[in-house]
Amino acid sequence: MIVAQRKIIPEILEKLKYHKKILVLGCGTCVTVCLAGGEREVCIIASALRMASKLHGYSLDIEELTIERQCDNIFIEMAAEATERNDAVLSLGCGAGVQAVAERYPYKPVYAGLDTAFIGILEERGVWTEKCIACGECVLSDYGGICPVARCAKRLLNGPCGGSKEDRCEVSPDRECAWQLIYRRLKDIGQLDRLKNIAVPKSWNKSRDGGYRVIIRDDHRI
Amino acid sequence: MKPDSKLAQSIENGDFIITAEYLPRITADKQSVDSVLKTLGNGLTAVNVSDNPYGVALSSLAASAGMATNGIEPIFQMVTRDRNRIALQSDLLGAAYLGIKNVLCLSGYHQTLTASSGSANVYDIDSIQLLAAVTGMNEQRVLINGAKIGGEFSMIAGAVANPFLEPLELNIIRLAKKVKAGAQFIQTQPVFNIEKFRLWIEAANQEGITEKTAIIPGILPLNSFEEAERLREFYTDHIIPNEIIDRLRSAGDDTIQKNTGLAICSEIIGTIKDIQGVCGIHILSGGKEDRVPELLDMSGL
Repeated sequence: MIVAQRKIIPEILEKLKYHKKILVLGCGTCVTVCLAGGEREVCIIASALRMASKLHGYSLDIEELTIERQCDNIFIEMAAEATERNDAVLSLGCGAGVQAVAERYPYKPVYAGLDTAFIGILEERGVWTEKCIACGECVLSDYGGICPVARCAKRLLNGPCGGSKEDRCEVSPDRECAWQLIYRRLKDIGQLDRLKNIAVPKSWNKSRDGGYRVIIRDDHRI
Repeated sequence: MKPDSKLAQSIENGDFIITAEYLPRITADKQSVDSVLKTLGNGLTAVNVSDNPYGVALSSLAASAGMATNGIEPIFQMVTRDRNRIALQSDLLGAAYLGIKNVLCLSGYHQTLTASSGSANVYDIDSIQLLAAVTGMNEQRVLINGAKIGGEFSMIAGAVANPFLEPLELNIIRLAKKVKAGAQFIQTQPVFNIEKFRLWIEAANQEGITEKTAIIPGILPLNSFEEAERLREFYTDHIIPNEIIDRLRSAGDDTIQKNTGLAICSEIIGTIKDIQGVCGIHILSGGKEDRVPELLDMSGL
């Protein structure tokens, strides 16, 4: 899923300072699961903004709404009336959600309430970790299902760097070395020989480096 | 075509290789570069020019070219952290044009460990892919994308290995790949634990790796126990045993600690130079170039 986290209230308040009536718009998908922008967080942020604005000597009029998916026009449509009657939207969707809402309502200011962080998983309660950078050409089959592109700080494709020490990454003691995990996993599944091949330079064209990406499925087009 | 470098000749002849690291500073002042180079003295096969390991400094390409002009043979270090394959290959052509014959291919310290920790990294290719690129340029005279190089191109490529990277099996797989990709010499991270180094090079001997490449272990003169602790804490590739730190700590004042640092290196050199598979030593100055002639003198090299 896409993992995000809430911006701090002073930063949000600063962005909203020219408006009086705000729609705080949550999303019921990824950001609900990662506890950043679902119905519950909409309620918390709305309350925090009401209190914070009062502490600054004014009063924000805040409406709360959570739709099922902010990245999908069918659901964004359900926020049309609420958007119309407010001055601006504070979206608690991911980066895709914020942009989809802004595109649908071209004359309405839309602000981001979250920092979208990565594609990842819930590792344990309250801890999310990055697993995928959406490079566009998956290499997981060659690395025992552990991604060196996303999880090695240097995205090395041919083995660990010299800074790999006692399973930790040279960048920080609290990060695992992806290459130690890849080595152990390939050994466990009897595929260590895969590591002996020299991986050739990867084409980053299908990643962000090729410009923003578009997928067209002719078989699904009308 | 074989490059006519002193380093290539020494590898071929089986001469004992002595290299040292020069760390370019944050300067464009020619005199300051010359004075540091002068302190390195004679007796070196070649001098490594580091590529911004701790953040921005004079470019390793420019410093290497300057050295070559002044009759000191450079080993041009290239990290894949800051340049994509276009810039790396272009700089390799540039290096050859400027008379540079040796290149050391590294991934480089992650930029978060440098003084420019907020910068983006590149890592378009890794050090093994860079080695393979140099090999392709040398042997087929082609770039990664197959484009032909006009005229001659001749450069000897080397790589870095950390003898203390564990597990040993993974370490040797990685080392073998570097050699397969074309590393004709391997300089290592600093050696303080001789027994572990011995295990590593024995494993390399068994795999036939030392027959194909020249292993040049790294030697790092430490000035004080504080420096040793700081390096060990901040850079995970610096494996410095407690005994070394204790010996420095109990040595005495600053001067005695510095001398002890040199004595430790001299002892290590004395032991490892005779280990099968060792082809020389590489003095990692970390910017303390003034220690290099002292150490060579003390070690009788």
